[in-house]
Amino acid sequence: MPDFNPVDYAVPGFVLLVLLEMLWARARAPDTYEPGDTLTSLAMGLGSTVAGVLSAGLITAMFYGLYPFRVVTIGWQWWAWTLCFVLDDLAYYWFHRCAHRVRWIWASHVNHHSSQHYNLSTALRQTWTGTIALGFIFRLPLVLIGFHPVMIFFCGGINLIYQFWFHTEAIKKMPRWFEAVMNTPSHHRVHHATNPVYLDRNYAGVFIVWDRMFGTFQGELDGTRIHYGIVKQLGSFNLLWVAFHEWTGIARDVWHAPWGAKLGYIWRPPGWSHDASRDTSDTIRERWLALRGEAPAE
Amino acid sequence: MGQLFQIGGSVIAILALAFACARLGLGKDVRIASEAEAMRLAREALCGFEPVDLVLDRAGIGALLRDAQGRVMLLRRHGAHFAARLLDNHADARLDRNFLTLGTGEARFGQITLDLGEKAQSWASSLRHLGGGASA
Repeated sequence: MPDFNPVDYAVPGFVLLVLLEMLWARARAPDTYEPGDTLTSLAMGLGSTVAGVLSAGLITAMFYGLYPFRVVTIGWQWWAWTLCFVLDDLAYYWFHRCAHRVRWIWASHVNHHSSQHYNLSTALRQTWTGTIALGFIFRLPLVLIGFHPVMIFFCGGINLIYQFWFHTEAIKKMPRWFEAVMNTPSHHRVHHATNPVYLDRNYAGVFIVWDRMFGTFQGELDGTRIHYGIVKQLGSFNLLWVAFHEWTGIARDVWHAPWGAKLGYIWRPPGWSHDASRDTSDTIRERWLALRGEAPAE
Repeated sequence: MGQLFQIGGSVIAILALAFACARLGLGKDVRIASEAEAMRLAREALCGFEPVDLVLDRAGIGALLRDAQGRVMLLRRHGAHFAARLLDNHADARLDRNFLTLGTGEARFGQITLDLGEKAQSWASSLRHLGGGASA
């Protein structure tokens, strides 16, 4: 029964691949990286690791606390690992989708999107506040089904490692069969883009089939220049601001909002406001479609 | 102890990678080279913002743009890219001959001083319609 975190063993590989991508960038696309941005992303990654260590006890206790209430005992068969990995990726899809559609979770996840660059260091730009955002809740059904917490943590680690490599512009397209099933650099570039056509698309972790199944898939378009980041770019490399700016925004909005609207600033989509004075992904997309003379899709 | 060792190693790796990034000359000294580029950046920053008037900083580190609705957008350099804000008041605007200093009210976004040449005066005046101050 493995009781180690596979991510720990992948970190040297992450460092090596970032270095290799920098060498590629120097030869092919020097603006892929920027020192201040890279330092911010990597420091966010380190902070995320520390935050993970601090909250690991709580999460582990919760998973083990629920495990006695499982429906069945699945055990350690080979197929159980496979099934757990697939279902964990499905759970990740829904977590990720909610992380873009519920501001409370977005306040944590926005950290990963706040770079205007898209490279392997961006993959390590991770949140410090994931536990506060309650993202772990999406994995709890796996415990209740009967997968052992160790198996879930292991599969989650492998999932996270898989998600590292596709944060790159160095790879244009993978073979067609691979693009059809798996998440790839092309699919995930779309996810990190702020172009209206790309907003809130491609939430998948490992298997892009979830987006195809649930209607959130968007392929990368030829001839469309991608711009990365968030719709209101931070304009700052201040580490604390990167980590907490959206939480600060929530607090400010809830404080100033009328009583009937306060909760809306927590659970509604990012950009929502009670007086409709701000933009959500949906309103940006609708405006973009209107400018193109197209009706919004139902 | 193992975790402390891991964190210490990570700090060293981070500093080494950031150092390598700088030594390799990555990132570039971005400048707005033309009015067309400023308009493209503005459209990318805010869907539906169609500039009808603009002025570039003479070194290309920023720009001010106005659309038909009278909205004014500030573009400023951030790393190897640009970030934008719609200005909603002129309280932070300061004019010093050809130099117009602008703020957005966001401490972390900071202030920027643009060299707008002979257009500085007219743009400073035109920002007054935004309200919010009396010093431009």
